[in-house]
Amino acid sequence: MTKLSSVNQSKLPAILELRHITKTYGNNGNEFYALKDVNLKINQQDFVSITGPSGSGKSTLMHLVGLLDNPTSGEILLEGADISSLKEHELAQLRNQTLGFVFQQFNLLPKTSALENVILPLLYSDVPKTEWTNLAVTMLTKVGLADKLKNTPGQLSGGQQQRVAIARALVNNPKIILADEPTGNLDSKSGIEIMDIFRYLHDKEKRTIVFVTHDQDLARQAKKIIVIKDGQIQ
Amino acid sequence: MNNPLHFKPSLEDLLKSSIRSIFKNKSRTFLTSLGVIIGVTSVILLVSIGNGLKAYVVSQFESLGSNILFVAPGQVFNRNGGFNNNGGASFLATSFTVSDWNRLKRDLKTTAGYIIPVSQSPTTIKYLKNSVDTNILGTSADYAVARNQTPAAGNGRWFTSQENDKASNVAVIGHQLKLDLFGAAPALNRKLIVGGRTMKVIGVLNKIGGGFGGPNFDSFIYIPLITSQRLTGREAIQSFQIKINSTTDLEAGKKMIETSLSKRFKDEDSFSVFDQSQIIGSINSILNILTAGLSGIAAISLLVGGIGIMNIMLVTVTERTREIGLRKAIGAYPRAILLQFLFEAIILSGIGGIIGIILGSLGTLAISPFFPARVSLNSIILAFGVSFIVGVVFGVAPARRASKLSPIEALRYE
Repeated sequence: MTKLSSVNQSKLPAILELRHITKTYGNNGNEFYALKDVNLKINQQDFVSITGPSGSGKSTLMHLVGLLDNPTSGEILLEGADISSLKEHELAQLRNQTLGFVFQQFNLLPKTSALENVILPLLYSDVPKTEWTNLAVTMLTKVGLADKLKNTPGQLSGGQQQRVAIARALVNNPKIILADEPTGNLDSKSGIEIMDIFRYLHDKEKRTIVFVTHDQDLARQAKKIIVIKDGQIQ
Repeated sequence: MNNPLHFKPSLEDLLKSSIRSIFKNKSRTFLTSLGVIIGVTSVILLVSIGNGLKAYVVSQFESLGSNILFVAPGQVFNRNGGFNNNGGASFLATSFTVSDWNRLKRDLKTTAGYIIPVSQSPTTIKYLKNSVDTNILGTSADYAVARNQTPAAGNGRWFTSQENDKASNVAVIGHQLKLDLFGAAPALNRKLIVGGRTMKVIGVLNKIGGGFGGPNFDSFIYIPLITSQRLTGREAIQSFQIKINSTTDLEAGKKMIETSLSKRFKDEDSFSVFDQSQIIGSINSILNILTAGLSGIAAISLLVGGIGIMNIMLVTVTERTREIGLRKAIGAYPRAILLQFLFEAIILSGIGGIIGIILGSLGTLAISPFFPARVSLNSIILAFGVSFIVGVVFGVAPARRASKLSPIEALRYE
């Protein structure tokens, strides 16, 4: 792992680092800067929120952190290694091994049981098939859905669906859990439950969590708050 | 990083996941497959009918024996082995006579087992108040033996060569003609009015059957050749069937017949001598073209079915944009997405193919009592292969579109 002269005071090494990242949309002469010279470090056991008004560039930043998009310029280092030269299938494999996604819309497969939804990332992993069901049941139990294994998303409440999504994000034992407005589609009670799960995962399981929200109160629940405005970190 | 060529998920898991998503929408799956079902069913049915007809024709001629030569006026075959287009015209231009028959009998005395003349003409038969339009078949006493059509015990007899020579007014009637004229009543020794002459029924034939598109021999009235010539007033024999003894080569027999007939016919194009393999070959080539043409038309519905699959797959890809985005985000690489959707298209057309094969085979079974149809393994393999290819061809475009979706765009899609 590459050692970096860090402005960050954390003693733990960085998992993901963004260096001088710029992302523009549109063509020459008519460019729009979604991100401008952004530097960001996600260290082990971080609990980070990214917040800012809509259009500030927080979604773009999330996509870059999630290895779903390429920057226009700058470097993204995953555990010290530059990923900018990687091919699409290599990025897919990296996402599978290192990241767990939680989305605002849950994005569960319809008409498919909670168990099968949680197994989905394992389908694309190197985890032996014999362990799939056990792992998925363990994760669903952890989020309190041990009795809903066979339920399809249509038979679950919004909060329960998001918990299935969290179990799905955990099943590959990722290095970072990325959540994009995880409570945006939930009532406040369910939202609190979801945040409780994240806090538990950070406090008790020492997991690294990054979540994006436009909600200031929610953002304050993280240990570290990154405020982004007009494509730049404040 | 692991070996990038190492493929995840396994083909088996991909296939399972494709099957699962297809069966989440059963009615759509059925409707999508319907085009392929109809296409494959019609291809199987038509090929079965074509095969059945060929087998029927071959069996009909083979039942005559392989050492039979046919003599007909005019050039029956063209140089390519097909039937001559002018066959009809030359057929009318010349005909054989009793003296030709007698000459053949003399010249082929030791070579031919029998020489049967056939003279056919339309007529009307009356019995009491019943009247039937049918055909007279004037022939020799050998005909019944050669065709294995001797009336069964209790149903009378065939006419003798003496009756032929004397032009006796005796008749043998087909199974259907007997029913049409007499119903359940006995027919033997009753008098019929045939073309103004009174004729005695001396025999009733068993059911012969067959006759698809050809003459219906069960409705014929069979009388001695000479009697038929007196009746019609024309001394014409349309064709001969000649059985060559097994000791003589078929080609040598042909030569002898040609030599014999050339004594009267100076132009060698005015008659044809041929064996059953030539007839079977020509009929088969016609049936092959017919089957191929009809199957080609049926294959158009397969094409339409394929386009239907492509259409639904494109809709599916659009509908499942979020699912595709999610799969990509959590680690599916483009090829895994491509194969998943390609498999779905292939399964859709494969289901259509299998149902089509079952329906086509059942349909063939259903019509086989009335029509000589026969399912062949070839047509099943062909139909399944084509439906598989349809799935691949029409599945690639939607699957490629799915695999190229950007995960961000896909996840953002509402």
